[in-house]
Amino acid sequence: MVLAAAVLVADGVSLLLVGSAALWLRGEPVTVGDVDVVIEPGRENLRRLHAALSGVALRPRDIPAPHRLAGVPVVTIATSYGRVDCLLERGRRDWARLREAAGPVAVADVSVLVASADDAWALRRRFKGPGG
Amino acid sequence: MSGRSGLGLVEVAVLEALDAAGATPDRRHRRSARVLAIVEERIGLAPGYAYQVLTDLALPWKVPVPLVDGHGNFGSPDGDPPAGWRYTDVRLSPAGQVTLAAERGELAPVPAGLITGNTYQWGLRPPFRPTAVIEAIRQVLARPRTTGPEITEIVGPPDFMTGCTVTGDLAGLAAGRPVDLRLHARVTITDDAHLSARIDGNAPGSWFKPGQLNRTVLVIDNFPPTTGPAEVARAIASRAREPQWAAGYPDLTRRARLPVQDIADLSSCRGGYLLACLPEPDADLDELRQQVSEIEGVTTRLPAALPRPLAKTIRDWSRSWPGEDLAASLTVLEDAIASSRLCDG
Repeated sequence: MVLAAAVLVADGVSLLLVGSAALWLRGEPVTVGDVDVVIEPGRENLRRLHAALSGVALRPRDIPAPHRLAGVPVVTIATSYGRVDCLLERGRRDWARLREAAGPVAVADVSVLVASADDAWALRRRFKGPGG
Repeated sequence: MSGRSGLGLVEVAVLEALDAAGATPDRRHRRSARVLAIVEERIGLAPGYAYQVLTDLALPWKVPVPLVDGHGNFGSPDGDPPAGWRYTDVRLSPAGQVTLAAERGELAPVPAGLITGNTYQWGLRPPFRPTAVIEAIRQVLARPRTTGPEITEIVGPPDFMTGCTVTGDLAGLAAGRPVDLRLHARVTITDDAHLSARIDGNAPGSWFKPGQLNRTVLVIDNFPPTTGPAEVARAIASRAREPQWAAGYPDLTRRARLPVQDIADLSSCRGGYLLACLPEPDADLDELRQQVSEIEGVTTRLPAALPRPLAKTIRDWSRSWPGEDLAASLTVLEDAIASSRLCDG
C-alpha cells in the first residue's frame, strides 16, 4: 500500500508520509489501513498532485480540480494501490515543521519523506483518539 | 431500527408508502414519483433522499432479498445510476409485503433487517444469507439451549449478493465488535475453453475471440458490491501502462506495473460481470494473480459492526414472540423470498 506514496513521489509530487503507513515504515507495530500524506503547499505541486492522482484513481471524477485543491482540507481518493488521504490543510499549516523532523525512507527505489515517529503518533492521537 | 423487522425508519416509511399507493405484489407497478410524494408527505423526507433507499431496496445486487419490485431502468452493479423517479415504476415485492405485515403486527416479527443489513447504504451492518438466518432462528426455537457458537456457525459469514469472498475478523464481528472486513473478487487463471463457455458466444469489440486464443487468461468476477468491472478495468489499465518515470525507478516499476497486455469486459447476462486480462507472454501468472488480487477494487475494505452479538440477536428474536407464530412467520417469509427472487429473474 505504501507503493501509492512512492508512485506519487515518482510522479513529482512533494509530500510527506504520516499516519499508519509512516509508523509502519518506522517499525511501529501498527496495521496499515490506508496511506495518509501531507502535501507541500504551492500551486505547481498541487497541479502535479492532480495529474498523478488522475493516473491511478479508480474514479478520476472524485479528484477536485487543481485550483480547488488549494482550498480543501482533505481529499480521499481510492487508487489502484489503495486509499490515499491527501492532508492538504495540514500541509498548509505544518509543512515546514513536519518537514524539519522528517527523514527519507526507501520504498522500492524511491526516497519517500516519512514523518518522525513522534509527529506521526501525535497526528494519529489528535485525529483518531487513543483507540485509533 | 424497528424491533419487528429490524429495518430502519426510512425503509419502513418507503414500504408503507408503497402500500398506501396501492403498489402491492398483486397489483400493477406505480410510478416512483408518486410513492416518493407519499414518503415526503408522511415523514418529510425529500424525494432525492428517499429515492436512493427505494431503489436500493429493489436492487438484487445490493440487498439479498429485494423488498421492492422495480420496473424500468434501475442501473447496473457497475455504477450506472437508476433513471429518474419520473421514469421508473415500483411495487412491494412479496418479501416486502411480508415485512410490512410484520411491521404492522399482522404477522410475528421477521428478521428482514438482519438479512438485508445496511452496508448498501454505507452503514456498518453487513447482510447475511437469508436461509441461514431463518435456519438459525428455527434451530433456537426447536432447541432453546443452542449455544452462541452453534448459532454463529449456522448463520455463517456475511453474504453479499455479488458472491465476493469475505475475510477478516469474522469472530469479532459475530461478537459485536467493530471490525474491518475485506471483500475479495474472485481472480482465476483459466483458458479459452473455460472462458468461452462462460460468455454469450462472442465478445464484440474485444481482443477475445472464443475458440481462437492459445493462451491462458486471468479472469476476475464476483466483484465486491462497491466496485465493478469498469472501475477495476480502469485500475488495471492504469497499472499496466509504462509509467513516465519507468526509467528513473526500475524497482518501483517492477513492483507497481502489471504485466497485462489487454483487458476485456466480457460481462453478459449469462456469465454475469466478468473481466478478462491478457497477460504479457513472459508474465509470471501466479505473481500476476497475486498482484491483481491486491488491487483496490478487486479487494476492498469494509468497516462493519453489529449492534449486538449475533447469537444474542438471534436468541432474543426467537424469544420475542410465541414460537408457533414465529415459525409460521418464517415460513411465510421463506416463501416470499423465493417469490421475490423469481420476480428479479
